[in-house]
Amino acid sequence: MTDTRPLRAAVVGAGRMGMIHGHLLSVYPGTEVVGFVDRDTGLRDHLASQGLSAPLYPNVEALFAAATPEAVFICTPTHTHLTVVRECLGRRVHLFIEKPLATTLTDAEAILHLATEARVVHAAGYVYAHLPIVQAAHDLLARGVLGETLHFSAHAYVSEVFGPKRGWFFQRELSGGGVVANMASHLLFILGWFFGPIRRVVATTRSLGTAMDDSAQALLTFSSGVTGLLDTSWSMPGAQMLDYGLTIRGRRGTLVLGRDRILLHLLAPADGHDAGWSEIHASDLPADTAFDVSPHIGGEAFYRQLDSFVQACRSGTLPFCSLVQACNTQRMIDAIYASATSGAPVEVS
Amino acid sequence: MSDLVLELRPPESQHYPSWRERLDTVARYSQPDEIHALCEKAYALGARLILTVFDDTIREALVAFQRWRDVQVWAVVPNMFAFIRDLTDLGLVGAARARFMRLTPPAMVRTGLRTMSALGGIRRRDLAVGTMLVCEMELAALRGLRVTRLFLHPQVTEIALAAGAPAVFMALAAASERLGIDPGLMTHNPLRAAAVLGPELRRFAPIIAPCNSKGYKMFPNREECERLFRSDPARFIAAEVTAGGTLAPEAALAHTRALGLSGAVLDFRTVEAAFGAGWTASVGAGATCSASTFQPR
Repeated sequence: MTDTRPLRAAVVGAGRMGMIHGHLLSVYPGTEVVGFVDRDTGLRDHLASQGLSAPLYPNVEALFAAATPEAVFICTPTHTHLTVVRECLGRRVHLFIEKPLATTLTDAEAILHLATEARVVHAAGYVYAHLPIVQAAHDLLARGVLGETLHFSAHAYVSEVFGPKRGWFFQRELSGGGVVANMASHLLFILGWFFGPIRRVVATTRSLGTAMDDSAQALLTFSSGVTGLLDTSWSMPGAQMLDYGLTIRGRRGTLVLGRDRILLHLLAPADGHDAGWSEIHASDLPADTAFDVSPHIGGEAFYRQLDSFVQACRSGTLPFCSLVQACNTQRMIDAIYASATSGAPVEVS
Repeated sequence: MSDLVLELRPPESQHYPSWRERLDTVARYSQPDEIHALCEKAYALGARLILTVFDDTIREALVAFQRWRDVQVWAVVPNMFAFIRDLTDLGLVGAARARFMRLTPPAMVRTGLRTMSALGGIRRRDLAVGTMLVCEMELAALRGLRVTRLFLHPQVTEIALAAGAPAVFMALAAASERLGIDPGLMTHNPLRAAAVLGPELRRFAPIIAPCNSKGYKMFPNREECERLFRSDPARFIAAEVTAGGTLAPEAALAHTRALGLSGAVLDFRTVEAAFGAGWTASVGAGATCSASTFQPR
């Protein structure tokens, strides 16, 4: 019999992402928010004014003393993720961890190890992978529409840094890095999901306004043999929200993935698609989302991400966005920084 | 259908099919004259309403356009992307101060008095109090513009709807009343809005929500949204009418007319496409759902 009880969830970290997850958990029919955790207990009224009335606890210990969450959403600054995971796994709770997974690959692998040992369901918050159009592109590749995938080019740009910035997000030891770790990682996750484990990276980064990487170019080689170039910058004028694009070339055609559409060029008909150019628009895909929490950023992907996690918790199986895949992303981030620092290619074991 | 509404937003805050198109469009609509020209094209198609998130360029263009044409401006506040950017760069106090410094001295005094009366809410970091203070400062900075309707930015609206927090909408209604203008509602989740606001939903008109024959961006689904629209069609204005540019403007408008909605929102692409295709005026006055409401120029 299917378990229809709401999944009891807690949110650790009541900053911007924590609140978004709190809102989603409130509106999603299969979840119940049993508590928030934040050191700043002065946020209680702020949360309540948004309709987030679940109790606010000063730490995970206090949460566990008062409530019995089945899942925890970790939305604290990146450098705290490992510590918070250790605290949370004092109980057997499923883990959803906001991206990036950690500030270092070592920490990321430790988190994955802890979650695996605890036999809990886990997922990472690479929300763009949940956009229907991105999933449609994944499905086309998985069905072999392009034939053997050869190479790709990708970009991820946003207007964020044009001078010195303040806050933990712009301190490498706290956030794990600059544009690569915190913006391009969305695209790196998608690349890893599409092409598999990373094998080799050659990269260069540049600081423009912060002491971190404000732009980067990386030549990535995956174990599948796919190679490609990623160009990213958060110092690009004209894009208040992340602008990304991905062009994939295969032996039988080309796929161009944009925000709302896929352009497909095939040398011969395949999988119901004609030869030549065709377009798949997001509006042509089945709709399966009940609420849009952020029409301009992420859109229905947030809801689908939560749905994917809840279904995984119910079934006890890992979702595609598990920490295993997030660790592959972390390997790419780590290798990009290592290559940029050494000026040499980095082989990823 | 009675109303066509031109939707303006800072071009940097929109999505584009390609980086190249982004660069072209942002460069183009960073010029007030280009926005003015777009407004003129929309006017030629019959749009007498402009729904907009403001930046300095849009404000400048609309001040000039309102001198020339009798159009209503509907304000969507606050400009959340600019505000979030300022929050990151300047902190909450710095972001508020930056908005305060743009005001005229009389507006500074009014805002100062309002702030004093809202100190409790500010200390509590109350969403409704904070949002409305920022909104009112943005409105006060729109010198020379005649704003007739007030909408909360969708980023605020959807968050308040998600957890069921009607207070922010009641604050919007109260602020609108104080300013002598009408409150509206713009959302991708009209059913949730109806559930959260209950009978108070009547205070908000129009309600702008996605409506198209593909069900695109209609949450939770097309059928339930259309059922809500049919319950009081005059209250609703359709957004996303071309489903991301995949439906022809005439067919898109015919669909919303058939549902009896009171209007449709056109984005810059739809206006450019319709104008470029040679269609002109009489749509606003048209009541039928035939293509004859778009007349070849």
